Amino acid sequence: MKGFEYYAPETLDAAVEILARYGEGAYPVAGGTDLIPKMRYGHVAPQAVVNLKRIPGLNRITSLENGGLHVGALVTLTQLSREALVRERYPVVAHIAGKMASAQVRNLATVGGNLCNAAPSADLAPPLIALDAEALIVGPEGERRVPLEHFFTGPGATVLGPGELLTAVLLPPPQPHTRAMYIKHAHREALDIAIVGVAALVRLAPGTATCQGARIVLGAVAPTPIRAREAEALLEGAPLTEEHIAEAGRLAAQAARPIDDVRGSAWYRRKMVDVLTRRAIAGTRGEGGDLT
Amino acid sequence: MCAFSYIGKRIPKPDAVEKATGRVIYGHDLKVPRMLHAKVLRSPLPHAHILHVDTSRAERLPGVKAVITADDFPPRRFGFAKDRTPLTGDKVRRVGDEVAAVAAVDEETAEEALELIRVEYEPLPAVFDPEEALKPDAPLIHEERGSNLFRHQEYVHGNPDRALDEADVVVEDVFELGYMQPTPLETCFCLAAFDPSGRLTVWSTTQIPFLLQRDLAEALGIPGHHIRIIQTAIGGGFGRGLDMYSFEPICVWLARKAGRPVRLAFTRQEEFIAAECRQPMRIWSRAGAMKDGRLWVRDVKVLLDNGAYVSWGTVTTLVFMETVGSLYRVPHARMVSDSVYTNNPITGAVRGFGNPQSTFVVETQMDRLAEAIGMDPLEFRLRNANRPFEETPQGIKVTSCGLKECLEAVAERIGWKHRHERRPQEGPVRRGIGIAATMNVGGGARIYRSDGCGAIVKVDDFGQVTVMTGATEIGQGSDVIVAQIVAEELGIPPETILIVNNDTALTPWDVGVHASRTTFIAGNAALIAAREVKRQILETAEELLEAAAEDLELRDGFVVVRGSPERRVPFDKVVRARHFRQGGEVIVGHGWYDPPNEMVGADGKGNISAAYGFGAQAIEVEVDLETGKVKPLRVISAHDVGRAINPMYVEGQIEGGVVMGLGYALLEELQVREGRVLNPTLLDYRLLTALDAPQIESVIIETDDPEGPFGAKGVGEMGTNPTAAAVANAIYDAVGVRITQLPITPERVLRAVESRK
Ligand SMILES: Cc1cc2nc3c(=O)[nH]c(=O)nc-3n(C[C@H](O)[C@H](O)[C@H](O)COP(=O)(O)OP(=O)(O)OC[C@H]3O[C@@H](n4cnc5c(N)ncnc54)[C@H](O)[C@@H]3O)c2cc1C
Repeated sequence: MKGFEYYAPETLDAAVEILARYGEGAYPVAGGTDLIPKMRYGHVAPQAVVNLKRIPGLNRITSLENGGLHVGALVTLTQLSREALVRERYPVVAHIAGKMASAQVRNLATVGGNLCNAAPSADLAPPLIALDAEALIVGPEGERRVPLEHFFTGPGATVLGPGELLTAVLLPPPQPHTRAMYIKHAHREALDIAIVGVAALVRLAPGTATCQGARIVLGAVAPTPIRAREAEALLEGAPLTEEHIAEAGRLAAQAARPIDDVRGSAWYRRKMVDVLTRRAIAGTRGEGGDLT
Repeated sequence: MCAFSYIGKRIPKPDAVEKATGRVIYGHDLKVPRMLHAKVLRSPLPHAHILHVDTSRAERLPGVKAVITADDFPPRRFGFAKDRTPLTGDKVRRVGDEVAAVAAVDEETAEEALELIRVEYEPLPAVFDPEEALKPDAPLIHEERGSNLFRHQEYVHGNPDRALDEADVVVEDVFELGYMQPTPLETCFCLAAFDPSGRLTVWSTTQIPFLLQRDLAEALGIPGHHIRIIQTAIGGGFGRGLDMYSFEPICVWLARKAGRPVRLAFTRQEEFIAAECRQPMRIWSRAGAMKDGRLWVRDVKVLLDNGAYVSWGTVTTLVFMETVGSLYRVPHARMVSDSVYTNNPITGAVRGFGNPQSTFVVETQMDRLAEAIGMDPLEFRLRNANRPFEETPQGIKVTSCGLKECLEAVAERIGWKHRHERRPQEGPVRRGIGIAATMNVGGGARIYRSDGCGAIVKVDDFGQVTVMTGATEIGQGSDVIVAQIVAEELGIPPETILIVNNDTALTPWDVGVHASRTTFIAGNAALIAAREVKRQILETAEELLEAAAEDLELRDGFVVVRGSPERRVPFDKVVRARHFRQGGEVIVGHGWYDPPNEMVGADGKGNISAAYGFGAQAIEVEVDLETGKVKPLRVISAHDVGRAINPMYVEGQIEGGVVMGLGYALLEELQVREGRVLNPTLLDYRLLTALDAPQIESVIIETDDPEGPFGAKGVGEMGTNPTAAAVANAIYDAVGVRITQLPITPERVLRAVESRK
């Protein structure tokens, strides 16, 4: 590993100032579970590493006035999986957070790190995008909000500019009659990266099986997590029949732009988008799996 | 049957708690004064001439104490085929070939120095497929050999050509087996130091201390008797430590040049790139049977990818051959194998040593034959199973043999008879059960001039028994097994026995920890030594107790007159009585055991082992037809181990073997493209985690082998051999597709399911 400057600022302002000063050469570090291996393998060689963990307040989960949730960027996966507010309002998020990586990694790994690392396979991205979450960003110019859907710009790339930090993820209040499911398809039960991840969220018209709103979000099948908008459009206003679900799976598979890599071929990934989309949508009808 | 005091007891490993709590000092933890850290510069290209190496800038970097290239070494070669030098000077033959090395005050400085070394390469055409490598115009990996074919072997018994015509049914398949890494948790390690008189000590994770001593001497021209190998606590072996690798002479040479101790430890990435892995094989196999259920013939052709250099791993074809020629009674068999050089990673020994590959082939086709003649696969196997005390046409002298019992045990426990009742016939997830058996050397394997091991048992004035054994401990528990054997003979608790087993300056010779041989060979050596000690003790006790030796027994730390328990004398008192008198002597016994087995001849025949282990597995899996995912649910693994000296360790070996076998079957694959490893991390080279491991039930079958110590045979590798075949057979049972490629990834299953539609 190459030498670097190390900073552990105690305020957000100080962190932003240091990051802005170094520009591209500075990397914030939270849990370090993505960054440190990358530095070890020589994939990145930061000039400066800025530890965010001394900044107070970034590791809190708090209820918003509108009934939504503010999840600080430094909240760990363990926290996210155990926090009652998350388990009650967004079980789909708590569930995957508790299954990612391994217990030891989850104790270190953070929400902000998972999103800012911007791996196309990042497991928190599809369910959070399906829930219409927003990214709260602080930088030299002050604070801004970006829908999480537009946060990612490519593998390892986000909308964060020089000096900018993700400080929180904002979740809108849970919608009535809405259920969501995220299916991570991986080779192993634990300690693995998704070959494909699919999140489905379905809002039913009260007392019916008719879909009023849907989100289908795909992970690991494009340079960034993506929404399968045609599949969503097909479902909206339609009854959740076998045929519709099957058609949604086909449309989602068409939306995917997968590649071949060590975890799976493009052929296989596209197939899995179809299968998992169908299973995730069906899962939201309560036929197994776990829901929001 | 006589009752044992210590044989068959579940004595826990004394270092278990220390290992689980992280207190064991491994090689990686060692520090000695003035120690330097070494790093190796490796080739980024699979095949290239080296035009020029410039180390001058690296040498000038502050903190660098030695830089070496091929020019620093004497012109000596090493390796199974003497086709390598520690650093390569003329050309590189694989990605990862060692080109230069640095010793510096810390790892960071050594790494920085590597970046300052300039190497000019002239790329050469490379070849990555063994079939391509055999073509006349293929680029030559070792020009001086004139061909990329390292070895062609032929084995035959009976008349396979005629038999293939005669057989009522013949099945034919092509198998494609991938790279597997031994993946011990501790990566390769070496610490080398010269003392002022020029003697060398090497601390090492090797599995072959005495051969390493010899190999280092040969590679470097240091007199062998100036080399001392001390094994550190070893964080896993699985075959990884059965060859000397380049890093070992490199580390020694840096220590010599720098005049300081040098430590070299692989990163995990290096381990994946430069440690030897299981050889990929392409196999064409035909097998035939008669309608009445007689297995009739096997005809197998194997193409083995050695990689850029040949290791002991090339001998896996011999083990492969045993399974083809002798697992089940088969009147006609042929095997032709070619071991070929390519520009791929070096392959070597991994637990099972050719047997997981051959068992996959043989046991897949046993199922296919049973189906073709309309017979239950279990019945077909039982009909053709090896029997005790029969010699196979290959010259394998089976002694104790519990194959039938193993097959029956696993079938019974998995519910074989009723396996097709009560299982889902609809929906995407189906279930199936598969069965497979194995035969493995269990009484040594003579692939080297000596298959022996020595032991010294000494007793001090206080009655402390110390055993010096050549047997290497790599976590399997050979230390306790040896103690239990000596304890049984001497009638003292095994926990009180001290084992010295890690220093070539102290322990007698052993060929190494491989071939499931340690309990059998080192156990017999220790038993011989213990018997000698017992003889000496009884000789003196005769005088003290005024009784004849035949009437004496050693029990609970005393010599006792049989039938008169009050007439007894403590063990330590006998020792002192023998020592402290005119013309006295101390008690020491020496044992040497080299088994009555033989080298396999050029015709592939010969009794390679003094005993054979047998086993069977039944595995239940779940297969998802839509995703291709296979989930093992339950494994029953029964093994004829002769006698379980310590059932806990037998179960440990079986369970570990099964998990490794499941890895080979389903998950573990070093992905190599154009000679480059694409997944050199534990995240993408997937071992099973505890969550992926199914319920495993071990069944121990005891057959009391006539040659084994207290009847014991080896078990180290057996658990891993039949697993892939049993899984593949279970998948077929579940969804009707035959996968002949390993590992059986979800994608491969899905493609097979789709192409069937
Ligand atoms: C063994 C193992 C298993 C894993 N399994 C999974 C898995 O199952 N699913 C999965 O999705 N991931 C997995 N990961 C990846 C990783 O653990 C997660 O992505 C984790 O959430 C990253 O968080 P961190 O706090 O450790 O990030 P860090 O490594 O600290 O940071 C990651 C990146 O984000 C940047 N960053 C961090 N915080 C901020 C911030 N607030 N603002 C701006 N930039 C920031 C850093 O500069 C860095 O580039 C695994 C990793 C390992 C080592």
